[in-house]
Amino acid sequence: MSALEIRNIQKRYGDVETLKGIDIALESGEFLVLLGSSGCGKSTLLNIIAGLAEPSGGDILIGERSILSAHPKDRDIAMVFQSYALYPDMSVARNIGFGLEMRKVPAAEREKAVRDTARLLQIENLLDRKPSQLSGGQRQRVAIGRALVRNPRVFLFDEPLSNLDAKLRMEMRTELKRLHQMLKTTVVYVTHDQIEAMTLATRIAVMRDGRIEQLGTPAEIYDRPATLYVAGFVGSPPMNILDAEIVGHQVRIARSDEVLPLPRDFKRTTVSSGPVKVGIRPEALRLADFGASGARLIADVEVMELTGPELVTTATIGGQRITACLPPRTALATGSTQAFSFDEAALHLFDPESGRSLRAA
Amino acid sequence: MSANWISTRAWLLMLPLLVVMVSVIGWPLVDTVRLSFTDAKLVGTEGSFVGIANYEKMLAGSNFQRALVTTTWFAVVSVAAEMVLGVLAALLLHQQFRGRTALRALMILPWALPTVVNATLWRLIYNPEYGALNAALTQLGLIDSYRSWLGEPGSALTALIIADCWKNFPLVALIALAALQAVPRDITAAALVDGAGPFNRFRFVIMPYLAGPLLVALVLRTIEAFKVFDIIWVMTRGGPANSTRTLSILVYQEAFSFQRAGSGASLALIVTLLVTVLAAAYAALLRRAAGAA
Ligand SMILES: Nc1ncnc2c1ncn2[C@@H]1O[C@H](COP(=O)(O)OP(=O)(O)O)[C@@H](O)[C@H]1O
Ligand SMILES: [Mg+2]
Repeated sequence: MSALEIRNIQKRYGDVETLKGIDIALESGEFLVLLGSSGCGKSTLLNIIAGLAEPSGGDILIGERSILSAHPKDRDIAMVFQSYALYPDMSVARNIGFGLEMRKVPAAEREKAVRDTARLLQIENLLDRKPSQLSGGQRQRVAIGRALVRNPRVFLFDEPLSNLDAKLRMEMRTELKRLHQMLKTTVVYVTHDQIEAMTLATRIAVMRDGRIEQLGTPAEIYDRPATLYVAGFVGSPPMNILDAEIVGHQVRIARSDEVLPLPRDFKRTTVSSGPVKVGIRPEALRLADFGASGARLIADVEVMELTGPELVTTATIGGQRITACLPPRTALATGSTQAFSFDEAALHLFDPESGRSLRAA
Repeated sequence: MSANWISTRAWLLMLPLLVVMVSVIGWPLVDTVRLSFTDAKLVGTEGSFVGIANYEKMLAGSNFQRALVTTTWFAVVSVAAEMVLGVLAALLLHQQFRGRTALRALMILPWALPTVVNATLWRLIYNPEYGALNAALTQLGLIDSYRSWLGEPGSALTALIIADCWKNFPLVALIALAALQAVPRDITAAALVDGAGPFNRFRFVIMPYLAGPLLVALVLRTIEAFKVFDIIWVMTRGGPANSTRTLSILVYQEAFSFQRAGSGASLALIVTLLVTVLAAAYAALLRRAAGAA
């Protein structure tokens, strides 16, 4: 039984179609991340689930029952906002307990629930403060507490970490993962940060222009991107995408003599010859001997950047740039010509017209 | 360049303005204070020094006491009604509906009209022979015969308060509307999800954002209402039977109608003092509110 089912949800603002039919079914306890760049409709979808916006078409079910006609307060959901959205005049304790207060939960029971939640989030010492007396990270914890205390069927998060600085963001990310592992509540989480998506999600829906580009586990999204867009969006530095051409059983990189063997799971029915896009992740590339057999590319090293844990190397093949993430102490000279090898499974082919992966399903 | 020279230059630059201000505000004020200690008439006698006799006479007189009560009543009732009406209008105009922009523009109209126009308008509405109010109430069957709303001591002040409210609630509404638009959408959404109904949303979510701006509106309006003159002068001239004679009207009558410049000046200074106390109290309140936020 699905905990949350999104069926063909559409949303139009005037003539603009913001959501063009979204379908997702979530099992209980799943952590779904809606990932996409700004303006692709993530918040709109979340607001429709919460009841803060009405869809133009489609249905939302929680526990097999349609909730579209239900008021936000009756949907058994809780939401955490990017801006924290704390009530400025209330103490932290009252902020957290406000949902229970509105639901007429007796004071004693409410107080206990607030205290338990505060302990879970390690903000017990802040209960008497006003939101204005808290740091960004503390406010975020209070906002999460306000959602947790209600013990809802589904949690909704709208870019909850994007107002925090990098270090705090990582801390809170781990904290959220810990909480989810402990509480096992169903979560829908919106972000434009692919690292957050990869680390937190049990499943990721990559959204683009009001559509789902790919829905899958983080491993599927990373290892088998369904489109060029997904391939470029997930991963940092992004996947190398090279213009190439299929010639017989080989792929030749454009404007060069470099050839690669066609991957075994290549879907021959769609394209059997002609131009393709080749994708290889920077972290899949290794330095190799010129004589080595198998998949390898020869490129001229242009720039090397040591980030600490790795040496990000940019090289060119036939005028096209590729990036390789090499071990930090790799001995390499700018201007030299190098062979880079990779596993055959790390090679992705895309239809240049549709952008779709040419991998057989 | 030394800081000293900069500050000297600043004073030099302000000098012309200071001269103008001293001569148009400072000098008349000083002269009013001097006058208030004399028995000068408006025309003719220069008057001689009488000490605080004018003040004693004015404060002890029943005219002053009655005008103080009338003024306070006028200020409290009209400002309270303006605040309530203004907030309700703002809440309405904050909703999403067709024609909202037009209605917002229309609402400002009463406030934008010159007071004299507004007062004349209401005199027509209240007219005992052909006024719209009499016509409407008769047709609704609420009164049997036409009444002189501004001519009866029992109803004149209330009629004035209504006219003043109509003119001034748009200012409160405008301030409240601006404040409403500053309420973060996310907080309203959070309250919806938390299950707060319309009343609780107003009380806990909207009110914190409304309180500060409304306090400013309250200060502005009370001080203005306490000094009210023009709308009353045009509509009733303080009558009938002095039932709408506020402090400003009384000052005017004392100094100009009865031509007693000395006692008129002392009365004017008493009113000035009262308004200053009111303003100081509000200023303290505003400072405290700002400190709490
Ligand atoms: N109330 C609205 N009226 C008109 N257009 C809107 C409204 N809300 C969102 N949109 C549009 O819908 C698109 C998606 O917005 P949103 O869901 O907020 O994107 P995201 O959260 O992915 O950044 C944007 O192009 C935005 O301009
Ligand atoms: Mg958004």
